[in-house]
Amino acid sequence: MKFKAFLTENGINLLEKRILPALDKMGKVSHLYLTRDHAIFLHNLLTGHGIQSVAQFKKEALFEDYRISSQNDDKIAFSIDLSLLHRALRSILTIYAESGEAHNPPEFNFGRLQIKLVKKLPPHSNQPTPFLTFETKGSKSAVIQDVPISKPLSRADVQELQMALDGAQEMPKTLVKVPELNSLQNFVDRMKHVGDVMGVSISKYGDLHLQMSTTLIRLGAEFRKLMVIGERANERPEDGNLSAQSRTERAVQRGDAMTVQVSVKHFFKSLQCSLARPDCAFYGIAPQGSCLTVIFQFFIPGTRQTDKSISLHCRLPVLDPGSN
Amino acid sequence: MSSSVEAPDLVCELDNVQGIVDALTSVRWKRHQDAVLELSEHGIVIIVEEISCLQAKVYLQRELFVRYEYGAQGRPRFGVSLGLFVDCLKIFSVPGRSNILEIQYPGPDMQLLLKSLDSLDACLYAEIRTRIPETVSWDYSFEPAGSIPLSFTVKSAALKEAIDDLEWPGSSIQITLQPDPPSVTLRGEGHGDLQIDFSYYANSDLLTAFSCDRQISHSYKYKFLRATTSNIPSSVIKDNRGSKLTIGRGGMLKVQHLVSVAKLSVPHTHVDSAGYQQPSRIAYIEFFVKPEVEDDTGNDS
Repeated sequence: MKFKAFLTENGINLLEKRILPALDKMGKVSHLYLTRDHAIFLHNLLTGHGIQSVAQFKKEALFEDYRISSQNDDKIAFSIDLSLLHRALRSILTIYAESGEAHNPPEFNFGRLQIKLVKKLPPHSNQPTPFLTFETKGSKSAVIQDVPISKPLSRADVQELQMALDGAQEMPKTLVKVPELNSLQNFVDRMKHVGDVMGVSISKYGDLHLQMSTTLIRLGAEFRKLMVIGERANERPEDGNLSAQSRTERAVQRGDAMTVQVSVKHFFKSLQCSLARPDCAFYGIAPQGSCLTVIFQFFIPGTRQTDKSISLHCRLPVLDPGSN
Repeated sequence: MSSSVEAPDLVCELDNVQGIVDALTSVRWKRHQDAVLELSEHGIVIIVEEISCLQAKVYLQRELFVRYEYGAQGRPRFGVSLGLFVDCLKIFSVPGRSNILEIQYPGPDMQLLLKSLDSLDACLYAEIRTRIPETVSWDYSFEPAGSIPLSFTVKSAALKEAIDDLEWPGSSIQITLQPDPPSVTLRGEGHGDLQIDFSYYANSDLLTAFSCDRQISHSYKYKFLRATTSNIPSSVIKDNRGSKLTIGRGGMLKVQHLVSVAKLSVPHTHVDSAGYQQPSRIAYIEFFVKPEVEDDTGNDS
C-alpha cells in the first residue's frame, strides 16, 4: 500500500484557507479516501449519524505526481484528525512565508511539498504507527510534519465506504439556489436560541421556507422566486396573498413541495460550509424525504463556469416529526 | 367571535429594530422574565416587574414608529416572555442594514405578529404566543416628596460604574442627597463599606443637574439598584447620555434612562459626540425601586 504525491501551491491554499476550515465544522475527524483519480474527505458516512459531508477533489485540483497503489484496486482510506492536518498545512505556509521573499514563489526557496503515507515508530513505542507525512526540502534544511492517522480501512470497510459514497450521490429532484449564504447563516444563528428543530420546505416554484415552532412561538423565513434546478412548476397566482404557512401547506398538498424536519444545529453546520467560499449553494430534499441535501458549487476562478474538479455537498439527517 | 375579520388593535412599523432591542435589553435583568405590553393611541408601554420591589417601564412613543395605526377601544394589555420577545426582535435586526419590521396585535389566535417588510421575495415572520396578564400590577405610583423635587442627573456611564463598584460591600445601598454642599452619596455597607460621592461643584460634567432642598437618605437593596443599570447595552452607555434619579414620597426611587431609536443613516459603530438626537426618536426607560423598610435596614447594619 503506497501513496505519494506533491501538493500544489493551489492545493495547499485551497485546503488550508477554504476547505479544511469548513470541514472542521462538520466534525473533528473525517475519512480521507484516496483513489486513482480522486481524494475525498467524508464525514459520518459509515456511522450513519449526524450530518454527512462529502468533499471530492480530482487529483489535479490538489496534487501533482500523484502515485497510489494498493491491493484493493488502488484504493486507500483512513481516518484523520482535521485539526492536526490543518495545523500541519498552516505551519508549512508559515515556513514558506518566513523563508521566502514575498515576490519569490515558494518553490524558489523550498522544494515542493511532498505528502506520503508512512509507518513509523512513535517515541516510547515499538508498535509502528501510520502517519501522513508532509515533507518540504530546501537547499539547506528540510521540514517534516507527521500527522497521525488511523490504520488504513480494511477491504470490506473501504467497500462499505464506497457504497455509502455511491448512495450519498442521490440527487434531490428539485434544488433551489440559496440567496446570500451569509445572511441566511446570520439568521439561523439567531434562530438557534429559539428551538432545536427546524422545518425546511422546498417547492418546485422556487420557495424555500424555514420554520421553527415551540409552544410559545412560531418563527419562520420564507424566500421566494429562487432559481430552481430540476423539476419545477409554475406558481399559482391565487397563492400570492396567502401567509407563508398556508402557501407551503397548499404546495405540499398539491405535491409541488416537500417538508422535512432537521436539527437546527445541523442546518447551521451546513451553512458554515460558506467558510469554503463556494460561489453558490443549493438546497433540495432527497426523494421520499430521506434527507435534506445542500450542494455547494465552485466556479473556475474568473468565470461563471462550474469547476468540476471540486465538489462539496452535505446531507442532513431528517428527524422523526414526533421527536420535537 | 373571531377577531381575525376585524381590524387589529394595532399595526405599526419600525425602521430601527436595534434601538428597541437596546431599550428592552436594558430592562432584562433575569433570563426568564415576563413582560406586559400595554397599547394605546400614544404608543406601546412594556412593563416588567419583580413583585413589590422593582418595576421597569419602557415607553415606545408612537413617534418612534414610521407607521402607527391604532384601532382599539381602551388599552389592550397582554403578557409575553420578555426574553423571547427580545431574541425574536434581534433576529429581525440585521446589523448595518436598515430594515422595516411590522408589528401587529392580535393575530388570529391572539398572537403578537412580527413580519419583515424589506423585500417581497424574502420574508421573516414570528408569531409570539401571548397570555392574559396576571393580577393588577403592584402600585408603583410615584409622588413627589415635596414642592421641590429631590433629583439629580448623572452620566449613565458614571452611574453604572459606581453601582458596579458597590457590588463589593453588597446587600444594601444608602443614597443620600444633601443641599449644602450639593452632593450625592452612595454608600454600601456589608462585608465592608464603600462610599462614592458625586459633588455637584467638583464633578459638574458628571453630575449635570441637581435639585434638593433638604437632606434625604434612603436605602435600597443592592440587587435591585444594580438591575437599573447593569443591563444597559454598552452601545447605549457610549452614547454618553445622562440618567435621572428622583426620590419620591416614601423613598421610592425613580431611575430614568434614554435610549436612542434613531434611524440608522450612518454605520452603527458611529458615536455622535454631542449625543444629540431628535427628542421624538428616544425610547424612555423608567425604573421604580422600593426602599428597604427602615426596620430592615436597622437589622442589616
